[in-house]
Amino acid sequence: MNMSKTRRLGFIAVLFLFAIPFFAAAQGSEIVLKWPCIWVGKDSKAPAIGEIVAAFNAANAGKIRVEVEPQPDYNAYEQKVRTAIMAGIAPGDIFTLKLNASTQDFYTSKLLLDFTNDFTGEWRKSFDAGAVSQSTIKGKLKTLPFETAVLPLWYNGDLLKKAGVAKVPATMDELWAAMDKLKAAGIYPSSQMSGDTNAWTSMIWFSWMAASLGGPDVWEKPFTDKAFVESAKMMKRIFENYTTPDAIGAGAGVSGGHFLAGRTAIFSNGPWYAGRADLRATSFFPSIVIAPLPPAGSYKNIIISRLQANIAAAASPDKARHDAIISFLKYLTNKDNITKLAQTSGAMFAVNSGYVPTDAFQKQFYDMAEKGYETATDLEAALGAEATLEFTQQLSALALGKIAPEQFCALVEKKIDR
Amino acid sequence: MRKKGFANRAWILLYLLPLALLFGAFFIFPLMFNVYTSLMKWKGGGEMSWNNFSNYGKLLGDDTFLLSMKNNLIWALSQGFIQIPLAMIVALILARNPKGWKLMRTVYFLPNVISTVAIAKVWVALYNPQYGAINGLLGFFGIPGKNWLGNTDTALPAIIAMTVIYIGYFMIIILASIMNIPKELYEAAEIDGATTLQQELRITIPMIRGTLATSITLAMAYGMRHFETTYLMTGGGPAYSTSTMGIALFLKMDALRYGEASAAGIILIAMGSLVIVAIRRAIGKADPMTEAAQ
Repeated sequence: MNMSKTRRLGFIAVLFLFAIPFFAAAQGSEIVLKWPCIWVGKDSKAPAIGEIVAAFNAANAGKIRVEVEPQPDYNAYEQKVRTAIMAGIAPGDIFTLKLNASTQDFYTSKLLLDFTNDFTGEWRKSFDAGAVSQSTIKGKLKTLPFETAVLPLWYNGDLLKKAGVAKVPATMDELWAAMDKLKAAGIYPSSQMSGDTNAWTSMIWFSWMAASLGGPDVWEKPFTDKAFVESAKMMKRIFENYTTPDAIGAGAGVSGGHFLAGRTAIFSNGPWYAGRADLRATSFFPSIVIAPLPPAGSYKNIIISRLQANIAAAASPDKARHDAIISFLKYLTNKDNITKLAQTSGAMFAVNSGYVPTDAFQKQFYDMAEKGYETATDLEAALGAEATLEFTQQLSALALGKIAPEQFCALVEKKIDR
Repeated sequence: MRKKGFANRAWILLYLLPLALLFGAFFIFPLMFNVYTSLMKWKGGGEMSWNNFSNYGKLLGDDTFLLSMKNNLIWALSQGFIQIPLAMIVALILARNPKGWKLMRTVYFLPNVISTVAIAKVWVALYNPQYGAINGLLGFFGIPGKNWLGNTDTALPAIIAMTVIYIGYFMIIILASIMNIPKELYEAAEIDGATTLQQELRITIPMIRGTLATSITLAMAYGMRHFETTYLMTGGGPAYSTSTMGIALFLKMDALRYGEASAAGIILIAMGSLVIVAIRRAIGKADPMTEAAQ
């Protein structure tokens, strides 16, 4: 009988021990916000994000704590976000996503917090109105614009000089001539790629060409439009004559790697790349000039820009958690923190922080963004994942001469969800 | 007696219950859910809507998906009828205990304990058209190099070639089977004047037929569900030339076409099942080793 009583007491004690954490949680203890975050490790925003999160946690000790879950692989992170939402669970309390024609569908999910009621007053005024408008889908604001980007061409000034190219090309004829000179000097003229899921650097080139030929609303036209066919012809010419032998099937690492190693003279990427330590360590870094692609068509005053990352949050019926999320996001997006992020990473943001870069290279991006150009978005942002993937796959076929430019465009058109 | 029989059956069922529940939860339910979502239009975020068999029609009418199906068959056949014979040949040699056979056995098996990601990345470097060792070696013999992974004609053979040479796993299985063949059979054959080759063809291979059939079936099954190496090396490109159904499914998910991804999964399961059933019928299941033991 004593043994049985001992066992019963022991069982109750174990139950009690297991129950304590639940009681503690229920008693209004610290709210932990999980943030699966790509701005970690070697990412240029990692140091600033680390400092911002630490400062917020210190200021809210015992009440709110943000826990960063490192996600260094960008592609894997995007898949994590998609898979989680599909499975009916939020990827984290806070997370980021690229808002485009495909991910706009996430706005129909009840998992995402709707910021419409909270994003008001001074907080709303601090954001770029255009970016907020782009992030508002059918009257709902389920993500906040955070990082923006212009996507210019980057010219290695040292290599241009070596090849006898006196200045950055201002017309397409000058560009072709410059690339011929680079080739004659034994320099690969441009970094291109037809790998990964979006052929990133080549996709940017194509977007510049299409926008210049078809205008800022070119993406609303059928992909069989002349603007796209002409752009495809130019891309084919570049792949055949003016890039590295491994461009077909290459990923972003290869394309960027050639530029960082000083093997290619012309590259394309966004301002976040400017914060990379390996870029700044190159001997040619001071000579890098960014510029729009010379106009390929009649629209001569267009630049390619995009919303690079939007911030989303998990909808929560718990008001305390909801308020904690809003509190952190207000802190993250305040002018001081955005300035810190911009200063250290080179990235650009949708918040009007008043930051004016002192770094000469970073200033080039800000100057371009503020020059009064008309903006067009890039192919991936405009057409979504499936069309971009088809573009990427068929770009290889185009570059290999397996399909004609008209066929290339027709194949991509089939995959556009209109 | 009847009570004891019932009690025994009850205990058997009880012991099988946890496994059955796990099997149901992690296989049957996902499979049923997959069938259900394959008939839906679903972009992941919002609600599903009934789509009949449109997802299947779209996939089977898509040239790139049909190419993926063809590539899966090529993978299955190459794994089953190139990799297994290679494994068998090496196992036959090692079974004769040549000098250093234990070391070679370890060397052949080593790639199986290395991460697929690491192996894929090494081979991407080896296949690099400018700096890769393969083009370097070819150049040494005056043979022009190629962009192996960037050419629609060479990408798939290049990836298959680097996969089928990793024979270690099946080599070990076949070697173990060979080691179990009674030595008396070989002694008798030697007395009758049979050469080594004749012994292998007339004794060893027939005696390990069951193991070979199982190995071929497994290898073809792996081929049917092939994904990681190709995804890491080419992402299914260039121009879908290396795409498999697994990759097509994955890319559909990337594009938030979950209904079509589910349909691709069902087609993959169906096709895989047909291939395996066909192979088992063609090769047969009789295992002379079991018969000899009896």
